[in-house]
Amino acid sequence: MPDGDGQSGNEIEIEAVGKVFGQGDTAFHALSGIDLTIRTGEFFTLLGPSGCGKTTLLRVIAGFEHPTSGRLRIKGQDVVGQAPNQRLVNTVFQNYALFPHMTVAQNIGFGLKMLGRPRAEIAATTDEMMHLVKMEAMAARKPSELSGGQQQRVALARALAPRPRVLLLDEPLSALDLKLRKEMQTELKRLQVETGITFVFVTHDQEEALTMSDRLAVMNQGRILQLGSPHEIYHAPTERFVADFIGETNFLTLNVIAVQGRGADLALPGGRTIAARVAEGLTPAVGTTVSAVIRPEQARIVPQGTGELSATVEGAVFFGTDTHIHLRLSDGQPFTVRRQNNDDLADPAKGETVGLSLTPGALQVLRG
Amino acid sequence: MKRDSHRWKWILVSPALLVLILAASGPLLIVAVYSFLSPGNMGGVAWDFSTDAWFRVFFKRDIFEPENVTLNADHLAVFQRTIWLSLQTTVICAALGFPTAWFIATRPANRRMIWLFLITVPFWTNLLIRTFAIQEMIRNTGTLNTALLWLGVIGEPIEMMYTDFAVLLGMSYVFLPLMVLPLYAAMDKLDFRLVEAGYDLYASRFQVLRHVILPLVKPGFIAGSILVFIPSIGAYVTPRVLGGGRSMMMGNLIGLQFGQGRNWPLGSALAMVLLVIVVVALVFYLRITTRETGGRDGQS
Repeated sequence: MPDGDGQSGNEIEIEAVGKVFGQGDTAFHALSGIDLTIRTGEFFTLLGPSGCGKTTLLRVIAGFEHPTSGRLRIKGQDVVGQAPNQRLVNTVFQNYALFPHMTVAQNIGFGLKMLGRPRAEIAATTDEMMHLVKMEAMAARKPSELSGGQQQRVALARALAPRPRVLLLDEPLSALDLKLRKEMQTELKRLQVETGITFVFVTHDQEEALTMSDRLAVMNQGRILQLGSPHEIYHAPTERFVADFIGETNFLTLNVIAVQGRGADLALPGGRTIAARVAEGLTPAVGTTVSAVIRPEQARIVPQGTGELSATVEGAVFFGTDTHIHLRLSDGQPFTVRRQNNDDLADPAKGETVGLSLTPGALQVLRG
Repeated sequence: MKRDSHRWKWILVSPALLVLILAASGPLLIVAVYSFLSPGNMGGVAWDFSTDAWFRVFFKRDIFEPENVTLNADHLAVFQRTIWLSLQTTVICAALGFPTAWFIATRPANRRMIWLFLITVPFWTNLLIRTFAIQEMIRNTGTLNTALLWLGVIGEPIEMMYTDFAVLLGMSYVFLPLMVLPLYAAMDKLDFRLVEAGYDLYASRFQVLRHVILPLVKPGFIAGSILVFIPSIGAYVTPRVLGGGRSMMMGNLIGLQFGQGRNWPLGSALAMVLLVIVVVALVFYLRITTRETGGRDGQS
């Protein structure tokens, strides 16, 4: 457990942080104007495609990279210019970076040894950590004698052993196979809850981000596009990139008929009107065309003539738990409906015309 | 098909085997045989079995009282100096080679080749010439002393020629690349993320060096030390030119027996002693350097 000072405070405050590699024409802006506050004890995820700057941001927090501009505070203390070994932050590296010449126990005890802790304390904490990650039986093994999943556990234990304020995880699960990854997701979440340490997790896997995080930031091209809970990010994306990157989405181009507060009325193909939510900071003008999104599971196929929309069936793909039904709206826009296979429903026949009922309030108007 | 390729392998490897047998084992065998023969009148050997050469490697008989046998202090002093100078050369090369190799290994990939290439430049010039160049620098009226005298740093020349220092300087200079190259090879393979992991886990620069970098480049140190120590033990040109008769090493002592001394059996016996020193040193060295990593199968 971390020290009792302020369980609910801010752990990391990032203000206008920028990072530029190179100079002049070849300069690469890895991070631009990052503003971010990570709360104490939360599981925070940086999500984005490769090259989006998420790993650079993690390295800035760890102290391996120094920001070109902006400020960074850990627990209220300005750490810009502080070396990694001065920050109470530990990293689980993407390739684990376990010391190959040390045993599992020596790897786990390394941080405490470097901090000059007494031998007995190092031994006790190492045992405790090995128990925590269920690696007691492997204490005398070398990393080369471990499987990928076991190496992952040792890397975790090694980073947790010095009891850092913050644990940084750089795509730690990307090298594991699917089944092991699922297991480790649960395991990580359990460790985070048990230890109460703030986790900052970097991943490009949107499912991982949604299932594990308390909050997440979606990044692209060195910027944070949207910050929020998994629920907010999934159901109320504000930008096309976010909506597209996370989950499957139906994009619709629709006309604005009326604007009222945080909502807008949009004209659907076929003449009906629907109320939609509008992304924060956006005020669409009446008469303009906007981009709106709705998730495939937020639409239901209903008998022809009912529902808000009319569509033609183009095909169905069976996924086991659910079926994706590909449709074309009356004005030619594609639309996908995800139907859970609760009952043994027959797939609609290709070419059949059906009605579509949209979940009220599910349609969201995007920025840009 | 498979058997064919196996036969081909032997055919392909046979020239190398032939060279090894003819050029390495053959002469070694001859030297071993010579050491048990008597010296010929004009050099060479007489085919009479004798252990006299081996006796004289270690012992000395008083000319007037042949029963009075003492240890051959001159020979033992040369053995001792040879081992001591070679050890010092190895340590100096390691101390200078590590930062050099580190510097090269941390350059951008496209520039490393240039630095490595520069390391090999001294090999382009004959060893003898380079050794004389060092002599020119350190002799009493040489570059270094002249400059220091002119600057008024010293009142009279520092005597450096024909000292152990001169030999050490020469050997360290000559063998340094043999330490740098294997060290570089080991550092090139070093995963620098491990260095980051060390810093991340609160290690200071010195601790990262000691606990992460040094253990991981140890194979480079082992290879480099062997490559420096073995030729140092057998060095001939450098101690001859820079050490003269005052700072003689085993190579010179052996050379002396085959030349002026006209005692081929003694020279052969000394050469066998040199061989034994190298083998013992190697075994001992490999023992102590691989002890920690050696017990892998014993654990867990």
